[in-house]
Amino acid sequence: MKRLSAWQERLNDFCFSAESDTWLAILRIGLGLEVMLYALSLRDDWNYFLAGTGHGLISRNLGETILSLESCLVPRLGWFVTLGTRIGLHEETVLSVAWICLLGSGCGLLMGIASRFSAILAWFLHLCAAKSGGFVSYGVDNFTTIGLFYLMLSPLPDRYSVDWRLRKSRLNDPQLLGFWLRLLQLHLCIIYFFSGLTKCLGSGWWNGSNIWRALIRPPFNIIDPEILVRWKYLFPVAGISICLLEIGYPFFIWNSKTRKIWLIFICGMHAGIGLAMGMYLFALIMIILNVAAFGPGLIRTEHARISLRPQEVIL
Amino acid sequence: MTSGKKRVCLAGLALQLFLIIAVSSRDTFWVLSQSRSVFPKSSKNLWQGTERIASTALGQRLPRSNPVRQILSGYLHLSGIEVGYGFFAPNIANSYKLVFELRFPDGRVEYELPRVSNAASVLRVAGLLDQIGRTHSEAFRQTMVRMLADSMWREHADATTIRAIFGSVMLPSALEFEHGKRESYEFLYAYDFSVSEESTEQSTP
Repeated sequence: MKRLSAWQERLNDFCFSAESDTWLAILRIGLGLEVMLYALSLRDDWNYFLAGTGHGLISRNLGETILSLESCLVPRLGWFVTLGTRIGLHEETVLSVAWICLLGSGCGLLMGIASRFSAILAWFLHLCAAKSGGFVSYGVDNFTTIGLFYLMLSPLPDRYSVDWRLRKSRLNDPQLLGFWLRLLQLHLCIIYFFSGLTKCLGSGWWNGSNIWRALIRPPFNIIDPEILVRWKYLFPVAGISICLLEIGYPFFIWNSKTRKIWLIFICGMHAGIGLAMGMYLFALIMIILNVAAFGPGLIRTEHARISLRPQEVIL
Repeated sequence: MTSGKKRVCLAGLALQLFLIIAVSSRDTFWVLSQSRSVFPKSSKNLWQGTERIASTALGQRLPRSNPVRQILSGYLHLSGIEVGYGFFAPNIANSYKLVFELRFPDGRVEYELPRVSNAASVLRVAGLLDQIGRTHSEAFRQTMVRMLADSMWREHADATTIRAIFGSVMLPSALEFEHGKRESYEFLYAYDFSVSEESTEQSTP
């Protein structure tokens, strides 16, 4: 019984440790930037990707029909289009309004204006776009949804937001902040563990051929293969390093001695992927999630170490 | 924070982590069951069985109309955890290419690729072509290619016929590249669309 209560206490300490809202501010600002860049990157193709049958690249209606088979609860742009049609709005107008609202919600998040509302709006509209345009969605959309989902449920606003300054809100419950941080951290650990595990199952990551193939595979082939091939001896090292870095993430990111180096390497890996393969939005969202989850602890540790020194001298 | 609220939070956390792990496991077992990994082919049945267990835990073996399945599936989508994290794994497949051959009344022939405005959109179209290339459903492939051909037709309304040629991009290894081999295209499917005929014809290699 004693052991059970001790275990329960440890679980409580782990899940509800008091945290500041720095991580939440990083997540809010980062996701605001990500949502804005996402909207801007799709500015010219928004209607082309999301228009209904006979108007765009592929039919939004087909994507939404397939989505309905999975669950009728998933939000989609078709809901707005139907509503808009009833009040005499053209599909194109509804889609353009949705894009403007998404961009606006990104700005709201970045500045911290109406933080909760902006987070919910950004999550909802981004999800609608990602699901209605499911055929042209990829990993970056999933990670953005994950980030926005946690953000809108977290105790907003943070102290760096405009909301905080204008409304003079009271301090958020540090234990609740700690809980949502823990969830984000654990989620990232599972992501990297499974990502690393699946990579380890393929021989191409051990002999480096997957690095070569990833870098020359259209449309990721932004570096000239003539330059790449000169570095072929590094590919196996890079492949194995990525596998180890990812699968080792849940084991080394918690330890204060290895956290900094692991975080730097993981962020470096994502920055490298972004630059070498042109996956800028993907790199940005992964760096944001990592820095929000494990960055503030590092900065605080450094500050604590620095601030302790004078006291030690005084003592 | 009250202990009651903490219990609710812990239950939510446990459910969320369970779902994330179940989805990730399901996708990992699926990869293994496809025999695309370092494990021997004889282990295929084992992985198929474990994938079924994970799918059952996620309610995906229930009828589509079942409310439990609808709610669970809906929640997975809402929280962005409906797919696993096996990006570029276990190995990197070839990419696909779709070329449209447009024929005009004056005998002119033009070749076009699906057109988008920037590099970010190109990544999205590449993902779409991957889905078309990987599917086992001929009906799905044909529907998607027809829609892409339709979009091309809207830009070239004066074209009389469009042939959509779908192929796989074969990548050389680093060693082969050094010996002069470059990426090549393997023809997979072709579909013909014409103004007068609504039907499509399929050519196979």
